[in-house]
Amino acid sequence: MPIILTTQAYCKMLLHAAKYPHCAVNGLLVAEKTKDNKKDPSAPVLCVDCVPLFHGTLALAPMLEVALTLIDTWCKENRYFIAGYYQANERTKDFRPNQVAEKVAARIAENFGETAIVMVDSNRLTMSCFEPIVVIFDHHENKWKSRDVNQDCFEDWCEAQKITSSLLEGRSYEQLIDFDNHLDDLRNDWTNPVINKSVLDLC
Amino acid sequence: MDPFLSFTEMRDKLRKWREDNCRNSEQIVDVGEELISDHGSKLGDDVWIIYEQVMIAALDCSRDDLAMTCLQELRKQFPDSHRVKRLSGMRLEALERYDEATKYYEAILQDDPTNTAARKRKISILKAQGKPAEAIRELNEYLEQFVGDQEAWHELSELYINEHDYGKAAFCLEELMMTNPHNHLYCEQYAEVKYTQGGLDNLELSRKYFAQALRLNNRNMRALFGLYMLAGRGTKENKCSVKAVEEMLESMQITMS
Repeated sequence: MPIILTTQAYCKMLLHAAKYPHCAVNGLLVAEKTKDNKKDPSAPVLCVDCVPLFHGTLALAPMLEVALTLIDTWCKENRYFIAGYYQANERTKDFRPNQVAEKVAARIAENFGETAIVMVDSNRLTMSCFEPIVVIFDHHENKWKSRDVNQDCFEDWCEAQKITSSLLEGRSYEQLIDFDNHLDDLRNDWTNPVINKSVLDLC
Repeated sequence: MDPFLSFTEMRDKLRKWREDNCRNSEQIVDVGEELISDHGSKLGDDVWIIYEQVMIAALDCSRDDLAMTCLQELRKQFPDSHRVKRLSGMRLEALERYDEATKYYEAILQDDPTNTAARKRKISILKAQGKPAEAIRELNEYLEQFVGDQEAWHELSELYINEHDYGKAAFCLEELMMTNPHNHLYCEQYAEVKYTQGGLDNLELSRKYFAQALRLNNRNMRALFGLYMLAGRGTKENKCSVKAVEEMLESMQITMS
């Protein structure tokens, strides 16, 4: 079951990576719960949003568990579920999922079997965003295998490209809040209403 | 960024960022570039340290033009300086010319084997090239000689955490806590490492250090959340109930503002 990214999800992932170019960053992808109980197994999962988690040191457990607990509660209130995980590594040339990515994805997979890992290829991050720079990994036979990424992995690639480029040029990433920022100051809202509104305004 | 900052405001901002060791490179480039070009003459001797600060920020932002301008001014003023040579090396690193950069640093070390900056840059190159095991080895050797270098201990703890060697990361943080007993951040990071290691003894230690971090700074939210996560766990003798945590917090008069 392939995942598809909305503009908001893709945008915020890239803004997170752009805000901390010298750090590894990670976050969760969320999708909407479908109303019907009979899910078509081949239907793609639409990741409508992402929650930026941490920057810098990703391999420590306690704050990750706090984040998963709080985000889980938020998901239930909004009829979302956690469908995937994204990460951008510290070294731009490295876009393979590491142990942290696999561990978190395994944790998510306990609740949603088709969890995907989305790695951001920071090496190809440009202001113009002329091509998608994510690499999507699916779990097959105990290994994480990458899948071809093209415009079909996006709800609307042209819109995503245009809006992401615009927000990068406007330095909107300075206002992006991740969970680390929230832990530094609880008033910082990791649901990012400000950025969400900017995305909406540009649609 | 307010485009109408005065000269003193810009200079003070740069000073604060220097003192706090912030890596807000885009802002430093914005403010610094303007300060240098419009107010260079008013800066006096401060100009050299600002050139250095702006140069490093420019490297972060791929502004090689600005970096070269700053570097050339510094080279003119301090022709034989190792400190400036290190900046030249950093520029080569930014251009990913790692072998040349390493040669620069080795030349500095030939001249002055105690030059810690050059040694640390060599270790950074190993990190950039994706050679964490070698970086760790070199950093360990460095710390045998320069045992008091806190930045190095902290870097080593991060390298170990990334390699999932939590035991050794804890050791590094213990060194930092010994020399900085009032630093709540080290306590809290130590508690996080212990928590990640797992096992009853480590969780017990984790709880103690989260509590200590909170006592040192009652606004440390990570420590507070850490305590909540650990409440209800532990052996029968040491079980820390949520109620006990809440009572403890009340007695410390922690409130979420």
